[in-house]
Amino acid sequence: MGGSFGTPHGGRPARVVGAALAAGLLLSGCSGEEDVPVLTWYINPDDGGQATLAQQCTEEAEGAYRIETSLLPADAPSQREQLARRLAAGDDSLDIMSLDPPFIPELAEPGFLAPVPDETAEATTEDTLEGALAGAMWNEELVAVPFWANTQLLWYRESVTEEAGLDMDEPVTWDQVIEAAMEQDKLLGVQGTRAESMTVWLNALVESQDTSILVDPEARAVDLETNFDTAEGEKAADIIGTIGTEGLAGPGVASMDENQSMLLFQGDNGSFMVNWPFVWAATKAAVDEGVLEQDLLDDIGWSQYPRVDEDTASAPPLGGINLGVGADSENQDLAFDAIECIVQPENQTEYFITNGNPPSSESAYDDEALEEDYPMADAIREALANAAPRPQTPFYNEISTAIQQEFTPISGVREDSTPAETDSFIVEVLRGERLL
Amino acid sequence: MNGSSRPRGGTGKKSNRAKSEARLGWLIAGPAFFIMLSVTAYPIAQAVYDSLFSFRLTAPDDRSFVFLQNYLTIFSDVEVFWQALGVTLFVTVVTVAVELVLGFGLALVMHKALKRIRGALRTAILVPYGIITVVSAFAWYYMFDINSGFVNNWFSWVPGIDSDLDWFANFPTAITIIMASEIWKTTPFIALLLLAGLAQVPDELVEAAKVDGASWRQQMTRVILPNMKAAIMVAVLFRALDAFRIFDNVFIMTNGSANTEVLSLLAYRTSIGRLEIGLGSAVSVILFICVLLICFIAIKFFKVDLASGTDAKGGK
Amino acid sequence: MASNGKLTGRQRLGWTVLTVVVLLYALFPVAAILATSFKTQADLGNASFLPSSWTWENYQMILVGDAQGLFLTALRNSIGITLIATFIAVVLATLCAYAIARLDFPGKKIILGSALAVSIFPVISVVTPLFNLWRNIGLYDTWLGLIIPYLSLTLPISIWTLAAFFRQIPWDLEQAAQVDGATQWQAFRRAIVPLAMPGVFTTAIIAFFIAWNDFVYGISLTSTEAARPVPAALAFFTGASQFEEPTGAISAAAIVVTIPVVVLVLLFQRQIVSGLTQGAVKG
Repeated sequence: MGGSFGTPHGGRPARVVGAALAAGLLLSGCSGEEDVPVLTWYINPDDGGQATLAQQCTEEAEGAYRIETSLLPADAPSQREQLARRLAAGDDSLDIMSLDPPFIPELAEPGFLAPVPDETAEATTEDTLEGALAGAMWNEELVAVPFWANTQLLWYRESVTEEAGLDMDEPVTWDQVIEAAMEQDKLLGVQGTRAESMTVWLNALVESQDTSILVDPEARAVDLETNFDTAEGEKAADIIGTIGTEGLAGPGVASMDENQSMLLFQGDNGSFMVNWPFVWAATKAAVDEGVLEQDLLDDIGWSQYPRVDEDTASAPPLGGINLGVGADSENQDLAFDAIECIVQPENQTEYFITNGNPPSSESAYDDEALEEDYPMADAIREALANAAPRPQTPFYNEISTAIQQEFTPISGVREDSTPAETDSFIVEVLRGERLL
Repeated sequence: MNGSSRPRGGTGKKSNRAKSEARLGWLIAGPAFFIMLSVTAYPIAQAVYDSLFSFRLTAPDDRSFVFLQNYLTIFSDVEVFWQALGVTLFVTVVTVAVELVLGFGLALVMHKALKRIRGALRTAILVPYGIITVVSAFAWYYMFDINSGFVNNWFSWVPGIDSDLDWFANFPTAITIIMASEIWKTTPFIALLLLAGLAQVPDELVEAAKVDGASWRQQMTRVILPNMKAAIMVAVLFRALDAFRIFDNVFIMTNGSANTEVLSLLAYRTSIGRLEIGLGSAVSVILFICVLLICFIAIKFFKVDLASGTDAKGGK
Repeated sequence: MASNGKLTGRQRLGWTVLTVVVLLYALFPVAAILATSFKTQADLGNASFLPSSWTWENYQMILVGDAQGLFLTALRNSIGITLIATFIAVVLATLCAYAIARLDFPGKKIILGSALAVSIFPVISVVTPLFNLWRNIGLYDTWLGLIIPYLSLTLPISIWTLAAFFRQIPWDLEQAAQVDGATQWQAFRRAIVPLAMPGVFTTAIIAFFIAWNDFVYGISLTSTEAARPVPAALAFFTGASQFEEPTGAISAAAIVVTIPVVVLVLLFQRQIVSGLTQGAVKG
């Protein structure tokens, strides 16, 4: 038992500590060794579709590789946060990443993403919808592979539009939508919470007037200019501000995200809503569970995103997911093989049916099975053809955060001041003169 | 009460013994000391260094030395930095004040309670103490949330509260809930410290005051409180420093919207959200200096004696 | 001291009311989230405290359903990391507190002072440099990468609490053992350890609470299921679809992670209280 103390060399306590630390090291998880290379696919939360695809492609690879999924946080900015930090850290486990398009430039600019090999590009993008393809490019290079594309439709309650005498086969404008809701004392489903959805909405309003938020998205931080302080910016602020000050989105607008606006739309005061297609699957599921009435589902219609000007086609939001490969991944070739497997059109179709996320490939829409689950598939394809991406700049996060801060709560948005303030705020933040 | 004194060896010839005792002392106390310091001292030094650069993690090639520019940017930013500092101080002052009153009440109840119910009270009061702050934040958030809460429904008879009130949409209501969750979770801690302080008040003094016909209030103000001063001060300082670092519940409930941003959240958003390491480190350093200042003021002007109880040596 | 058990009716009523008030204060928010965890997805907006129909579906979702991958791994991480960190902290703090209480060496004050300084340290100030250091030496997103910072959270209070405990131990026993020819180390083990155990155990519970509660390190130094602890996972929960609020799942998960706390409190409330009050005020 223990040496006597007072001797200079470490006695038992040191050994106890050492053993404890060693135990800690042992317990901190060593994975079993495998001969098959493991590709880690960082996925955004969905309904389990990506995990299924990972399994399918692992089986198809017949031992060439094994795909394991790892879940990222729920919202896009947090996903970006996690990935950007790890990419900057030179993490070699980032084999495949599900990336939200607006954050791609920031990751591509410093070379964090492995360039897409020509054969993969050819195999995966021959019939990709134009908007979706643009979101996967940076500096004229394909830096990620489009997996699915998303856009918003205008959803409406037929009972409300009939009452208002609107012909929904014709394009409607925001002014008409606002007027109809006001007249009938109904509420609009919009996303007024301080989140990425605010930028999505504002960008769609600006783009629907054939203008972009940024003058030159590829400008350096110190040279960046916005188009907010223009007639178009004011018109966009006017629409948002009117809905806010008139209380047209209900009392909970300040915390209203995609899901809350859907619940509002499903309620007695629902009238119109701009939202992603997931609302259809979610509403249908609620009807199947007996939570909602079948009458409600029958009362729901859809059309293209509302216009700002009567004569200009609307530019609905563009969302979706592209798959990128980390520049420090040790299995880049295998990762691109796996991506080719994942984004096959039939997989995209299947993913749409099971998870409600629309394909980015034109041909994936040709499947007969779609019509049954998504009677609006054609409307989605049309919307995707007109959809406009959010500004593609390495400073997207700052710009989006600034917009969210200035434009929420929407009851405080004023056409004569908010756009100008947002403009100077963004410019000063990017010059490092102000905090966000 | 001091620990019993150690018998000393004879005087003289202590140098060898003292030396080996010192060595032994550092040998067994060293590891803990080293780990504590290495996890805090090194990173804060690194943060000070980083704060002198303009450096963004996603633009690794654009790193440049800017000396104090980051600090200038921060201090000249009224809308963000001073606002966050103000909110942080406001939350600190209000929560500590409320907790002191509530905690004292709880301590008195526990102190005077009958044996039969003391256990139950202690158990109940320890639940908020032990609960995860994030869980407490969610619990309060869901109670008041306009979509899933029941508070609006329960209290619709109160003027100003109806089913349309979104607690987290404007500053006064949002900060109230944030502070309520903070107070709920941390009052037990203060109550326990004060309970220990109450136990230290000599019974004979209180009895003597009673005999002299002092009213309950006089007993409080002239006997009990003066004798508890040290305990109260320590409790206040610890809680104030803790409240000044508030982060979890703001992050969960509002994430800084409705002007509820606090300093910790600003530091987090700048360095981890925006990946602006230089600017974020500067905010972190300022936060650290604020904590030091609070400590310094407390010790210098309020004579908080943190060293009480550190004297391990027996009375001579 | 408490009165001697003879109460008038009015006093009894007063005590009853006080007890009920304290119980309500302490348990109401927990009861609220407990009730929420039994609501169905459709029932969440019912604006009442209780669910209109009780369901286990939220618990099913996090324990055996869609969210189990996220929640159970986080729970495993939390339990593993917290227990290891608590164990190491208590071992190191015991040695440290023993040295402080029993030995005479220069630097005692420095150790206690730095423990105090570390305990008031703003964690947020060091996460960025730690993140950079961790990723350079490969500790990012590992168990050890959280255990080490957790030690800095748990060591200070453990050292203080234990030092207070150790000052109350009758050390003559050790001398008696030493007289019997045992070395200091043996004497310490035979005579002091059994006496010190209750204090060590109490300290372990308090340290466990602190580590269990961490959020900032959890969200900053992890990014996958490899090491993400429960509080961080709670903030990243999603509902069944990308846009669905995970209110029910979060509530259920919150209750599950609160169970260990409640159990510990129920079993050891007396020790926890004495530990907390001794560590803070001169014993």
